[in-house]
Amino acid sequence: MTAVRTYFSDVFMGLWTALVGMSITLRYLFSKPVTEMYPDVKPRTPTRYRGIHVFEEEKCIGCYVCAKACPVDCIEIGVVRKGKEIKITKFDIDYQKCMFCDLCCEPCPAHCIHMGPEFEKASFTRKGTILQFATPKTLTEEEKKVEKVARK
Amino acid sequence: MSELAAVLPGVLEKAGWSVPGGLVPVLAMFICASIVAAAMGLSAAVLVWAERKLAGHFQCRLGPVYVGGKFGWLQSIADGIKLLLKEDIIPADADRPLFRLAPYLVVLGVFLAFIAFPVSEKLMVADLNIGIFFILAVLTLEVFGVILAGWASNNKWALLGAMRAAAQMVSYEIPMGLAILPVVVEAQSLSLKSIVAAQSGGMLRWYVFQPPFFMGVSFLIFFLAGLASLKRAPFDLPEAESELTAGFHTEYSGMRFSFFFMAEYAGMILVSGLAAALYLGGWHGILPGQSGAMWFLLKTAFLVFVMIWLRWTLPRLRIDQVVYVGWKVLTPFVLACVLGQALMAYK
Repeated sequence: MTAVRTYFSDVFMGLWTALVGMSITLRYLFSKPVTEMYPDVKPRTPTRYRGIHVFEEEKCIGCYVCAKACPVDCIEIGVVRKGKEIKITKFDIDYQKCMFCDLCCEPCPAHCIHMGPEFEKASFTRKGTILQFATPKTLTEEEKKVEKVARK
Repeated sequence: MSELAAVLPGVLEKAGWSVPGGLVPVLAMFICASIVAAAMGLSAAVLVWAERKLAGHFQCRLGPVYVGGKFGWLQSIADGIKLLLKEDIIPADADRPLFRLAPYLVVLGVFLAFIAFPVSEKLMVADLNIGIFFILAVLTLEVFGVILAGWASNNKWALLGAMRAAAQMVSYEIPMGLAILPVVVEAQSLSLKSIVAAQSGGMLRWYVFQPPFFMGVSFLIFFLAGLASLKRAPFDLPEAESELTAGFHTEYSGMRFSFFFMAEYAGMILVSGLAAALYLGGWHGILPGQSGAMWFLLKTAFLVFVMIWLRWTLPRLRIDQVVYVGWKVLTPFVLACVLGQALMAYK
């Protein structure tokens, strides 16, 4: 008798569980899709997102603290000092190395380097992944002599 | 079709074309065949789009969105063009004539079945007096196409898929055929037109809702067996992607592949339409007195939706489970239904 009972209960459970599953999928049919239309609509990154750096050149005092703090040595800075005048000639970050750890931004005394919201900087060449943040300047011969570059 | 053949000479005369009298039935046949073929191709295109769209939304995605504006409604046309332009590859070790023959056989089965497809009282190619029997018989042709495809591909996945298809389709033909019997007993006819006509007069006269629900149960069985014979999930073992690459059509590409595809989607419409005609009152509306092709198409569309819904709900069964359900569950239940309905008719 138990065999007969199992048979019928199996048939019933087969149908019933299928219906339960169908009710669940029907609920999802009418729920809001989670798709992000990425290339068309850019997603908003979180407030403290660690993306490509934002560099404020006018604030920078050329102290190399960020380059020293960097655990992977990806920041390269060039500075020309003339009295009180500071010229940032070079501020390159190599994003092949950068691991977005935020350690460069913390020690900066002038608060001139931040982690930004940008993340689309993929490149087809190795050179393309090295971003130059300092505005390009033409240097005089004298300036070239005194330019100090913190090597990576 | 006979009506078309009767009207055709007058239309041709008006148009000023002279056609010899013997050619008129041939012309009528040709017109009907092209309408059916066009409807099959178009409905397959629409269904592929609907399936992808629904599948997306069932999984909280969007489905196609880019081709042709907001809803991606040109997606399947783009896919169709892609399939047409693709190279038609025949493997070096394949059995060439059989390999070429197989997709035509598969399409032919479904295509022929549409002859007796009852869209509305007037809108059917031919009202055969053995309509439903004819459809079932012709649908069986598809199995030959599938087995040929698997065998001629000379590929182990294809052969395994074809063997599964054969086991599954043959074992599910039986409950499918038997599930029709209660309806035939009740309507006293095999012609789809008179079966539908017997269900006129509102929703409560439909055969699914007739107490003591022998026909209601056989509707369920017909639908499930139809799913299995269409090789649709959860009975899609013959093409089980994760195990057999693509099953019996692994080696097919381009247009030949799309023939299998088209046959599957046209088959969905066919089985849904048959279920609608046999059990859900065909072209009759919900209230008494309502009728029209629209009702039939609505019911068919709903059943097709249920098929898609099931596919994105249930995981694939194992082959032993499939055969178990076919022989040990559906067949005894449908036999009980047939017996019950026959006893009721006996009086």
